[in-house]
Amino acid sequence: MNDTVHHTVHHTVHDRRVVAAAIASLPGIGPQRLRTLLSTLGVHDAWRTLRGDLAPHEHIAAMLAHDHLGRSLRRQATDELLARTAAALADHAMRVILRDDPEYPASLRGDFAAPAVLFAVGDMSVFAKRRVGVIGTRAASAAGRHFARRMSRELARSGVSVVSGLARGIDAAAHRGALDDEDESVAPPIAVVASGLDIVYPREHAALWAAVARRGVIVSESPPGCAPDAFRFPLRNRILAAVSELLVVVESRASGGSMITVDEAAKRGITVMAVPGSPHNESSAGTNALIADGATTVCHADDVLIALGLDHRRLSASSDARARPSPADRAVLDALARAPATLEQLVAVLDLPVPEVALRLGRLEAQGWAVSNSGWWEALLAS
Amino acid sequence: MFASVRSTTLLGVVGRAVDVEVHVGVGLPGFTIVGQPDEVCRESRDRVRAAFLSRGFAWPNRRITVNLAPSGERKGGSGLDLAIAVAVLVADEQLPAELALSHAFVAELGLDGSLRGVVGAAPLVSAVRDRRVVVAADNVPAARAAGANDVVAASDIAHAVACLRGEAQWLDCDSRHAPAAETSVPDLSDVRGQPVARLALEVAAAGGHHLLLVGPPGAGKSMLARRLPGILPPLTEEQSMSCTMVHSAAQVAVPSGGRVSLPPFRSPHHSISLVGLIGGGTVAMRPGEISLASDGVLFLDELGEFAPSVLDALRQPLEDGVVHVSRARTTLTFPARFLLVAAANPCPCGAGTPGVCVCDDAARARYLRRFSGPLLDRFDLRVNVGLPQVDDLVDGARGESSAVVAARVRRVRERAAQRNGDAKRAHGSRASSNSAIAVDDLDRTAPLHPAARAVLRRELEVGRLSGRGLHRVRRVARTIADLDGMPEVVGEEHLATALAMRTGLATLTSGAR
Repeated sequence: MNDTVHHTVHHTVHDRRVVAAAIASLPGIGPQRLRTLLSTLGVHDAWRTLRGDLAPHEHIAAMLAHDHLGRSLRRQATDELLARTAAALADHAMRVILRDDPEYPASLRGDFAAPAVLFAVGDMSVFAKRRVGVIGTRAASAAGRHFARRMSRELARSGVSVVSGLARGIDAAAHRGALDDEDESVAPPIAVVASGLDIVYPREHAALWAAVARRGVIVSESPPGCAPDAFRFPLRNRILAAVSELLVVVESRASGGSMITVDEAAKRGITVMAVPGSPHNESSAGTNALIADGATTVCHADDVLIALGLDHRRLSASSDARARPSPADRAVLDALARAPATLEQLVAVLDLPVPEVALRLGRLEAQGWAVSNSGWWEALLAS
Repeated sequence: MFASVRSTTLLGVVGRAVDVEVHVGVGLPGFTIVGQPDEVCRESRDRVRAAFLSRGFAWPNRRITVNLAPSGERKGGSGLDLAIAVAVLVADEQLPAELALSHAFVAELGLDGSLRGVVGAAPLVSAVRDRRVVVAADNVPAARAAGANDVVAASDIAHAVACLRGEAQWLDCDSRHAPAAETSVPDLSDVRGQPVARLALEVAAAGGHHLLLVGPPGAGKSMLARRLPGILPPLTEEQSMSCTMVHSAAQVAVPSGGRVSLPPFRSPHHSISLVGLIGGGTVAMRPGEISLASDGVLFLDELGEFAPSVLDALRQPLEDGVVHVSRARTTLTFPARFLLVAAANPCPCGAGTPGVCVCDDAARARYLRRFSGPLLDRFDLRVNVGLPQVDDLVDGARGESSAVVAARVRRVRERAAQRNGDAKRAHGSRASSNSAIAVDDLDRTAPLHPAARAVLRRELEVGRLSGRGLHRVRRVARTIADLDGMPEVVGEEHLATALAMRTGLATLTSGAR
């Protein structure tokens, strides 16, 4: 692909991919206008129209007249922009995929709000695999992150690609889980992000971002250099929903980005599944509400595999490697499973001396059944 | 013609004897003070003259030179007024020199000649305690507390001169200043439930471990901290004296008995300046809050609200037990052997509970950046304090009283002093407590049970514990084992408890405990 791009720069600036990318990066051209332009005129005619070399089509003319858009676009749609776009694409090994390209994800092509142009880094063939969206809140509990990671790892092992958004919290855990096994047979992850592919957001995910790009694919409809503006996230969520065969919400508050993705999935008739959580846990309020509304519950990766119609029996053999907690420790774990607790609350609930509770918590932590974060203990029950 | 009278001046928290030399001779009438007086001291010229005139003494209209010896050191304050006045009287031959010879004078003069008390009476008087000390009536308790056996008071300069001549009686101060009972410390039995927080207080008191309380507003963090002085071991004679000196020098009210006998408890507001906390200042070098809290508790409520520069300044005194304050002219050393207790909210919204907290990552990170890692590292104990349970508040039994806990604390302190006493003699202070066990002494004083050793190894292997954290955990575990009545080997449960009481904010900042 790199070769193609270099070729473009040196010999013909009229490569349709570069032109399409240039149009996408013009200010004032959003996903909808881009779709209208490219579908009515085609890439080259659209460019010529924007340059003013070609008389605009009538409803394009109406669009361009709005707010003097046409005039400002004429100023900006220059050969220099083409050169700059080509260079940016080449610099980041970024590919441009148009809607009529064979590589364009099939599930997206027929979508009513399909992006006209997709930017991608990585291997687009991953979209041919089975795909499950794993999403959730950024402010996830430790238990939620643990679940997301474990489930994603098992889905990837069963050949299902995990689709997520590279955000903090559940998204990151899902990607990490999908990347946990280095094995060749594991399905690579798919990330759908809001910013341009050269703008890593959040920045602390740079390593994870690179790993997803290396093993799987990252796509975005935002052109290179595009900042992670707030309005791009709901737009990204529609793509995330559209490329998923199934959507699993691990943890979500009653409102938020995950619920927008759920709405987008519902519009497209994509099955939404949710992981139940404690009513005390604010970050499970959204998922519990989804279950109340009829979403299928997910307590194990098998539940997702069954919903996909895949064989799940292979998994059950490798279920849980952790040592069983002793009956005494089990009592502490049961108390933790109800809600996250501090040492003090556990001492009160269990009515045991402080050293005894501390001892049991230490054992549970060593065995991987409990984690402590800033003084709060949480159970890691779900396997 | 010439007279020399003994007085004293304050340097930080220490009094220095000063000889006030006065020469009255021929020349143009005038009054100069030499020997590095500060502004207040220089002004005593006018006070002394006015006092002379209003009490009917003759003012020598000759050349008067006052020298404050040793003249190389800067003198401050108004405590030299009376001494200067008496010296002028002697030099002008209005008073026989031998009458003033065995006395020291520490008081300020009013324009009407009355004697007024001065700041820092205790350290001032202690520098001249081998003599009969003449002070203002309100400085008598402080002067007695400073160990001066012969303290007398006069109402004004004429009275003082009359007493020196044997023509009048010194004021009778004992009846006027009957020692009142010291303000009482709230009792630990008021705390209901909250077993972990109570244990943390006990461990902090017994081992001298610095304590960080993390919890939402209303969890009772301040309430708990205020009860700590009540379970600390009582001050030794030496500590009580040192506290009294510092309180007096900082013009902080001492109990009317004149002596600080309970461990002090200081809780400065978070707007405090660096100088206010550490000590210093331009006019007079005053001890800061850390010195006032020496041998007691320094409580910093809302730790996150303190200026980071102020908090970072705590690190050196925490290590050394003293603070060196240097200014252009002087370098002073103040005591700073305090037990640090701090309270903080777990996050900006204060909820802390996973899933309930509404702070986003950025807000949380911003909040946590306020706490410097090295300072958090100094807290051996970091515990979460939850809101008290309703059952405990309504019909819970009263907790153990301070007296019961204090007895256990005292036993542990004594044991620690015996154990560590070979190396360090300072009995009863933080220096001999478990928190001060030297690293190479840990294996001797706090041997680990094999199971406890395995727990430590695991924590180190997963990277939750740093090398320095390891030593701190072992010291805390030593204290917990001592409290448990196991003075020999530290068991697994003691170590697990020490680890569990070391969470708090720091797991968020560094991921290590």
